[in-house]
Amino acid sequence: MSDTPYQDDRGNKDRSITRPGGGTAQPHAPGRTTPAPGTPFLIGDAMTGGYGKGPDILHACTIAVDPGEIAVIVGPNGAGKSTAMKAMFGMLDVRSGHVMLDGEDITDLSPQQRVVKGMGFVPQTQNIFTSMTVEENLEMGAFIRRDDFRDTMAQIYDLFPILKEKRLQPAGELSGGQRQQVAVGRALMTKPKVLMLDEPTAGVSPIVMDELFDRIIEVARTGIPILMVEQNARQALEIADKAYVLVQGANAHTGTGKELLADPEVRRSFLGG
Amino acid sequence: MELLNGLVFLTNFVIVPALAYGAQLAIGALGVTLVYAILRFSNFAHGDTMAFGTAVTIKVTAVLVALGVTLGPLPTALLALPVGIAATGLLLLGTDWLVYKFYREQKAKPVILVIVSLGVMFVLNGLTRVFIGVRDIQFADGARFLFTVQQFKAWSGLDEGLAVRTTQAITLVTAAITVAVLFWFLNKTRTGKSMRAFSDNEDLALLSGIDPDRVVRVTWLIVAALATIAGVLYGLDKSFKAFTYFQLLLPIFAAAIVGGIGNPVGAIAGGFLIAFAEVTVTYPLKKVLTYWLPDGMGPDGLVQLLSGDYKFAVSFMILLIVLLFKPTGLFKGQSI
Repeated sequence: MSDTPYQDDRGNKDRSITRPGGGTAQPHAPGRTTPAPGTPFLIGDAMTGGYGKGPDILHACTIAVDPGEIAVIVGPNGAGKSTAMKAMFGMLDVRSGHVMLDGEDITDLSPQQRVVKGMGFVPQTQNIFTSMTVEENLEMGAFIRRDDFRDTMAQIYDLFPILKEKRLQPAGELSGGQRQQVAVGRALMTKPKVLMLDEPTAGVSPIVMDELFDRIIEVARTGIPILMVEQNARQALEIADKAYVLVQGANAHTGTGKELLADPEVRRSFLGG
Repeated sequence: MELLNGLVFLTNFVIVPALAYGAQLAIGALGVTLVYAILRFSNFAHGDTMAFGTAVTIKVTAVLVALGVTLGPLPTALLALPVGIAATGLLLLGTDWLVYKFYREQKAKPVILVIVSLGVMFVLNGLTRVFIGVRDIQFADGARFLFTVQQFKAWSGLDEGLAVRTTQAITLVTAAITVAVLFWFLNKTRTGKSMRAFSDNEDLALLSGIDPDRVVRVTWLIVAALATIAGVLYGLDKSFKAFTYFQLLLPIFAAAIVGGIGNPVGAIAGGFLIAFAEVTVTYPLKKVLTYWLPDGMGPDGLVQLLSGDYKFAVSFMILLIVLLFKPTGLFKGQSI
């Protein structure tokens, strides 16, 4: 699986001399941007690519979102939904195609540089610092900011009142839904120009899921465009201004959420009739 | 009176030495625990890092003394300590740049880094010996006692005396300051918090714009300071010998693991636990028991449970027991 012998951990069952769970993301060499006027606010245009030296997972996949919109990516398991989002965030090699943000081609930028450019990303798992308090999580979200971020934190506490209540509690002690709010709050601390959520409702109860969707709509009302990958296709399409159905790493259907909900083919293949 | 005499005797020969030794182990274990928490491997070169830092401090102390610069009642080594820390910092940054960085970039499994640190340990071992030799070196100067047995007896009127050496007092004060500064740094400063974030979730730290190289650099510098302080305090309290410092690795690791490796509070608790166990088990307690037990019931033997030569067996036993029954340590490990 790995191409270097240094990553071979075979036979090591000793839990006391090493600490498992190291990061997998490789710090990228910084890249450059080029102007790309006249494109949507954020667009992954005809992206083809995969992880490392592996095969292509995405095939000329196009995803775009404009200000004031919620765009969702839905599709069956293994369709490359999360991969498409990660490609837009620079976490895998885009071998052909471009990613453009706010009139700039950012295809060469590392994920860290994209955060500085104004992209907020909430990973699907391990999206909070569990041993740190809620407030410290938010502070770390604002790490790249050198200005006073107290008013941003106050806005996030207004948006997620439960976080204010629990701000001195370790984030790892919160419930699943509350953790997701911490994760979204952390990403919002940079005042991003676009927010990307990878399955924000994975693993939470239906009631919490409805609440999370409400919160996400509230975030969208503040004017931040939101791009979201969702397992719960029906609910996601209901709140979506723009929706992409991916199949095997390629665009299968595109339209507004309502159009896709009404589309008999989408209904038959993804929504169970 | 009997009770008090026994207590004073115990304090003089067990509690005070164990407190000082415990503080030294605790600072050593803090260094190990930081590397474990942030770089994710057990650093076997830690004992020799301590030896190197102490060796540099000894050399600088000698120069200062030769120049006539002393700290009066305090050991001159305290004045030389910052130089020792700086030199050790440079050494660790150099080692990281030369050795560890390569493996980090390969995303090598931590167990490989453990073995790498073993290699670094052997190199440092030799380096220190070439630099300062293999002899036993006493480098404590200044006043020897905070108060002596005679002074204590005259003051208290008890049969038993209590003496506190300057180095023991300095150890405890320095340890308290070091720990306070470290905790303040980790919990209150932006850089400290970013180190905790990196330890908690490397990928998310990266996405939050935390520079991993900077975190690693700062960690090595803090580890250099902790290792040098621990080494110098131990050397002042006892004496410096390169081999002894290499042997210190075992009680230090025992302390870190008993407390919960990766957890700074655990490292401190573990340090004192190991020190008290070691000193209590290897000290002849006959006199204390004679004082405390009713007349005629005093023990005949020395009540020395283990000869001093076996003191490492104590750390080893505790280590084994903890790993068998509570592998995560007393405090929840793996978080700073």
